[in-house]
Amino acid sequence: MKSIAVIFGGKSAEHDVSIITAHTPIIDTLEASGKFDVWPIYITKEGKWYCDKRMNDLSFFKNPAYEDELKSWKTVDISVNDGFTIIWPGLMRKTQKIDIVFPSMHGTYGEDGSLMGLLRMANVPFVGCDMFASAVAMDKVLTKQVVAAEGMPIVPYVWFTKSQWNKEKEVLMREIKKLAFPLFVKPVHLGSSIGMAKVKAEKELEQAIDVALHYDNKVLVEEGIDPLIEITLPIMGNDEIRCALPERPLNKTDFFDFNDKYLSGGKKGGGSVNSEYSEIPAKIEEDLTKQILDLGTRVYRALDCGGIARVDFLIHAETKTVYVNEVNTLPGSLYAHNWKKAGVSNMDLVLELVKLAEERFAAQKDITHAFQSDILKKVGGPKVQT
Amino acid sequence: MKRFISRFSLEYDRSLLYMLQASEYNLRDYFAWYRRVQDFRAVQKRKKLVWTIKVKALLAMEWACIAAVIIVGIYAVNDYPLLLGLAVVLVFVGCLTFALPYLLALFVFVGQLVQEPVEMTLINRAKATLAKHKGFKIAIAGSYGKTSMREILRTVLSEGKKVAAPGGSENTPIGIARFIAQLKGDEDVLIFELGEYYPGDVRKLARMVQPDLGVITGVNEAHLSKFKTIEAAASTVFELADVLGNAPLYVNGENECAKKEQRGGMLFSREGLDGWKVVAPQTSLDGTSFTLERGNVRINARSKLLGLHQIGPLTAAAHIAMHLGLTVAQTEAGIANTKPFEHRLEPKEEGGVVTLDDSYNGNPDGVKAVIEFLASLKDRRRWYVTPGLVEMGNRSEEVHRDIGKQLAEAGIEKVVLIKNSVTPCIETGLKEANYKGEITWFDDALKCYESLPHMTAAGDVVLLQNDWPDQYA
Repeated sequence: MKSIAVIFGGKSAEHDVSIITAHTPIIDTLEASGKFDVWPIYITKEGKWYCDKRMNDLSFFKNPAYEDELKSWKTVDISVNDGFTIIWPGLMRKTQKIDIVFPSMHGTYGEDGSLMGLLRMANVPFVGCDMFASAVAMDKVLTKQVVAAEGMPIVPYVWFTKSQWNKEKEVLMREIKKLAFPLFVKPVHLGSSIGMAKVKAEKELEQAIDVALHYDNKVLVEEGIDPLIEITLPIMGNDEIRCALPERPLNKTDFFDFNDKYLSGGKKGGGSVNSEYSEIPAKIEEDLTKQILDLGTRVYRALDCGGIARVDFLIHAETKTVYVNEVNTLPGSLYAHNWKKAGVSNMDLVLELVKLAEERFAAQKDITHAFQSDILKKVGGPKVQT
Repeated sequence: MKRFISRFSLEYDRSLLYMLQASEYNLRDYFAWYRRVQDFRAVQKRKKLVWTIKVKALLAMEWACIAAVIIVGIYAVNDYPLLLGLAVVLVFVGCLTFALPYLLALFVFVGQLVQEPVEMTLINRAKATLAKHKGFKIAIAGSYGKTSMREILRTVLSEGKKVAAPGGSENTPIGIARFIAQLKGDEDVLIFELGEYYPGDVRKLARMVQPDLGVITGVNEAHLSKFKTIEAAASTVFELADVLGNAPLYVNGENECAKKEQRGGMLFSREGLDGWKVVAPQTSLDGTSFTLERGNVRINARSKLLGLHQIGPLTAAAHIAMHLGLTVAQTEAGIANTKPFEHRLEPKEEGGVVTLDDSYNGNPDGVKAVIEFLASLKDRRRWYVTPGLVEMGNRSEEVHRDIGKQLAEAGIEKVVLIKNSVTPCIETGLKEANYKGEITWFDDALKCYESLPHMTAAGDVVLLQNDWPDQYA
């Protein structure tokens, strides 16, 4: 039986969402398959790593005192020396070598490529997008720049860092005012709409930017589309790509916020991410659906995504213009509710993602990363330059 | 060893009480189970002990006995040195754990002796009430399909008559007597299920009910472990025909054994009955439809029941309705009201996955019918989930291999088997028939049911076939 580690939690604003994704559907499904020895690795908000099979059950985290309980546990060490090994230190030292890693961390340190970098160093197959795609997708500005460079449509925007805002506020405000209201102010590296605001008038702008800068040191201000149709498209695959169904979030508020995504409703059937907040498949014209599927595939390839990702779109409801909005390399709960409606069960989804991870790992093994050189012998010689 | 050690666990007496309760205080079944148990700590799996007055009384008697043994033991070892005395008392208590299953059975037996005259009084009173009751009495017997037939008749006949029938599966003398005690006396039709566990049961119940009409739903391997042979089961079910005399008898013509026995009864099937012909039968996940024709009379039947095998019982119900004076329109309306009953091919849809709960269907004819229904559903991925069938006696292996073959021939894409003594036979049948789909195994039913939502997607149809109660573990 292969050992698989599911890594979740982490120093991220989406810490709790990550716990949900890890369990529903990932751990629950891996365990149901009976094919894996599942090791949950939980990273606290402070960055401490724990591993204990009791955490395979989501009810552990539903206990309000779970953080207190963890304090009585020993943290684990991780060895990345030719493989990924969990080490329980101490007199009764124990180790567990991991065959595959399933990252389930949203936001910073997990979804931004940091964890993927560690896993690449460990030389272990891991599920989902690789470091490069994760890093680019995590930065909404970089994503827009790549997408625009590939000739795909994006809405007009302005971006800046905290220090730029502090030094050149007036210049930036002049730039921003060139955009058409309403505007959206977003922290560049956060997902789940955290720290995001819809700004309808100039007087609200500075406060919204201050809030966004509270969460991130890089902020994006972009034009809002009005009237708007939001569409999101989950995509899976490495070389061969498969799209799920275009999904339309049914917003109750001005924008699709954290509560809409994760907390409202909680009805049965779609896993823990609220499955009742959206229309699947989106009831949009056939031509728009085709455009969404085409653009989604192009974006997925342009960012060199692998395993799974979700591409979000904005459509002007009257002009029917489609814009690429952003890419999420670890959709909440893998967007299993959408895949399910597309005919892909949780089991098919999770096992396919594991298979894709193994395939990518096998393909990467064929790539030459090092070569023999005699440069060291020549150090100090006349032809070596630094 | 596990069996020995688990006798001294805290769960031991609760397990024994649960075994008595789940066996419906049938001491023969209880002891058969007791002999099979390997670990008394792992008995309550599918259900839990319900703390009824009877269970509490048994527990109180048990503890009274334990206390008595300890007191007597202490008294007996009064002059012994402390450690030796303690050891002797502990040996006493140890011996009691072995005697406990028999002690509880004795309590139950004594209780039944006390209960019997009370029940006989109730039964005699019920017989007297029934003898005076003006209602038309229908009795249903068979190894399977009795409750479905009862509910179809109740629904169809209710369109023009005041109908009463016991709820649940009350098909024993005391169950029926309790039901009769609740009657108001103004009912037009009374419907009874006659349960059969041992030879003579149906005769006893039929004599109690004195039916004006009988329906035999079929005879098969259900309860074969009790009857030993199909012939004995058939003979017991057809005791109804003996009691009916010249009163009308409807016999399921789709069941080979019942058809062979027949005893002059009218055969009903998906083809029709008594000159009524079934035309244009259709079935889907939305329900079943057909037209019943005889001469110029046509009954357009639209039922929410699933599967072509429902046409026979619906046709019989329509015929009985006409016999009792319902109009064509009333009969059509009655049939239109029929819908799947709880746990009997009952559809539930969630997230595009249709689950067919057939957990109360545990007989080979019922299985054959639902596999036929699954096979008729095209363009869907079909799942068949089962722990197998219980009480198939010496035909168990053959019955389960046959289920495997039927599944393979029907091209069911996914078969999920729950490990127990019979499911390997289903796998054998599947392999023998060159099954092309996927077989998934689960160690226990609960784990399986928890996992199914992860395994299915929109467009799937999942059939949950039968349940495997703890007493068959």
